[in-house]
Amino acid sequence: MHIHLAWRNIWRNPRRTTVILTAVVIGIWSMVFLGALMRGMMTGMIDNGISTLTGDIQVHHKGYRNDPVIENSMTNPSMLKKILNDTLPNGSQWTARIRVNAVANNARHYSGVTMVGINPAQEAKISFIGPERIQGKYLDSMDHHGIVIGRELLEKFETRIGKKLVLMSQDTNQEIASRAFKIIGIFTAEMKATEKQFVFVTMSAAEKMLKLKNTISEISIIIPENHNNSKIASDIREVLPPKDYEVHTWQELLHILTAYLEMFDQFMYIWFVVVFIAMGFGIVNTTLMAVYERMREFGLLKALGMKPWWIVRSVIYESFLLLIMGMAIGNLLAFACIHALSKNGIDLSYLAEGADYFGISRIIFPDIFFQDVLVANLVVIVLGIIVSIYPAVRAARFTPVEALAHI
Amino acid sequence: MFRKQIAISILSLPLIIGFYINSPAQDTQTLVKSCFNYMRGSASISTVDMIIHRPGWERSMTIKAWTKGEKKSFFVITAPPKDNGNGTLKKGREMWMFNPKINRVIKLPPSMMSQGWMGSDFSNNDLAKSDSLINEYVHRVVGTEMLDGKKVYLVESIPQPAAPVVWGMQKLKIREDFIMLSQEFYDEDFRLVKAMTTDNIQMIGGKLFPKIWKMQKADTDDEYTLLEYKALLFKEDLPDRLFTLSNLKNPRR
Repeated sequence: MHIHLAWRNIWRNPRRTTVILTAVVIGIWSMVFLGALMRGMMTGMIDNGISTLTGDIQVHHKGYRNDPVIENSMTNPSMLKKILNDTLPNGSQWTARIRVNAVANNARHYSGVTMVGINPAQEAKISFIGPERIQGKYLDSMDHHGIVIGRELLEKFETRIGKKLVLMSQDTNQEIASRAFKIIGIFTAEMKATEKQFVFVTMSAAEKMLKLKNTISEISIIIPENHNNSKIASDIREVLPPKDYEVHTWQELLHILTAYLEMFDQFMYIWFVVVFIAMGFGIVNTTLMAVYERMREFGLLKALGMKPWWIVRSVIYESFLLLIMGMAIGNLLAFACIHALSKNGIDLSYLAEGADYFGISRIIFPDIFFQDVLVANLVVIVLGIIVSIYPAVRAARFTPVEALAHI
Repeated sequence: MFRKQIAISILSLPLIIGFYINSPAQDTQTLVKSCFNYMRGSASISTVDMIIHRPGWERSMTIKAWTKGEKKSFFVITAPPKDNGNGTLKKGREMWMFNPKINRVIKLPPSMMSQGWMGSDFSNNDLAKSDSLINEYVHRVVGTEMLDGKKVYLVESIPQPAAPVVWGMQKLKIREDFIMLSQEFYDEDFRLVKAMTTDNIQMIGGKLFPKIWKMQKADTDDEYTLLEYKALLFKEDLPDRLFTLSNLKNPRR
């Protein structure tokens, strides 16, 4: 009965109702849609971070992270292999790498790079690099002189596939090691910085160049989606001798990104509240207006003996209906927008230089976090009802005498 | 009998002249090696003025240099006073630098090897890998020309496939008395990157030697480095103690 009454009351002034409905719709839409965009941006950043040679978990020799030199390498890969095979859940992927800082040279240019010696087949399952993301040829594990470099580096060096690139680094005897490689493939990455930084050679080529034997710099692990990586990391940590090895999750490896994400979480909720405050004033104002317009009606109801609490309730029912309607439309609109964008995303490549700086992908795909949608809707409905208590109480306080005095 | 001998020697003359042109790589290898040995001597002490010229400025310094064989060399800057005492020691493919202002020896890391030595057009690599031309290239005489009545061999040097060198090709001009007239550095598309030419060949230090060496970048006219030998003395040997880190730090000479 009350709901029915409230519904009719709302539509007594359709124009006013439409205005307030629009406010609610826009509020909800912006919370859900822009929230999904921001989440999409963050997911992109995380995916980038993880696939840029990070993985979910990494194992290093102790001290490698502070001083990534060849002396801080792991010298017992077969033992590590056994341990990882025993500890990791089914469906995990892992790969070993040799990773050192080097200088790339050709006749006209030189530049500092990170040389990564990889196991090509295994690496393709874990990182952004792989046969399908490469122009030219991908590395073959028997290839001792092939090198895959990023497009950006290729352009900087004014070179092309088939040309030579000389890498220089320090070998295990502290002497300068140099080796000539032939560019066989070009990779493109989400970020230009990645394309400039990394060059890929095979593990055996890196071993030969640096005079290494059975030595790896890092192990990168990808775990199946439904597993908790910090738990698995601590499992690995338990079985490895702690004085020689370090195990890190991506949250620890990319700590700036992690801190940024945490800040972002808080920021999102603050932003929800800000949007709501703007919307809330609209709700209070309109409801208050409606209440004052119907002063004679409330006075009459009071004179007929209606309890003040009932009046409060009926006003709250009205704003509840308004909010529910607004939310339904707003959510629908937001999901429609997200759906429309989910295919092609928002292309930011025209400002890639700036976006690169923050580690943002070139294309943003909106990503729905149901928790965010829930919070947004809860914020609107709960706070919406709370703010409409004020006009409701005002309505309940009208006395019949006041109402008579009012025209 | 006598006539026959003349006939034989006349007949064999084209053979001898043609020897280097059509010679197997081994002999060209010897030619380049002899050239290097001649230019370097077994040991030497020299004083060189180096002028670094750039579009906006120019600076010069005086360097005293000791070399021994292919592997060892030691340079100290003596002028201007600002740079006095800056030393570079090269042993094999490694280099150390000493700066008296910070009183510290640094070993050149790989990242600095591609930079110019003392800001010149000679890179640290040019110095550290000076024997690379002998060991990592295949040489071929592609022609000869006459210059001031002397024969000059034009040599094309292509790096061996796996050699860690950045050049696509080097072209040398070697006079028949083993004086290097020019060395040109090409990239992999055989475009000139930089070229070194020598000039002003005179008797110096007991043998004919070019007094002026010029390293010039290919794309510009006003970027070059000029070396002028002020004094040069070839020796049979020099003591090993010259080429040590402690001598780099506290020169006893």
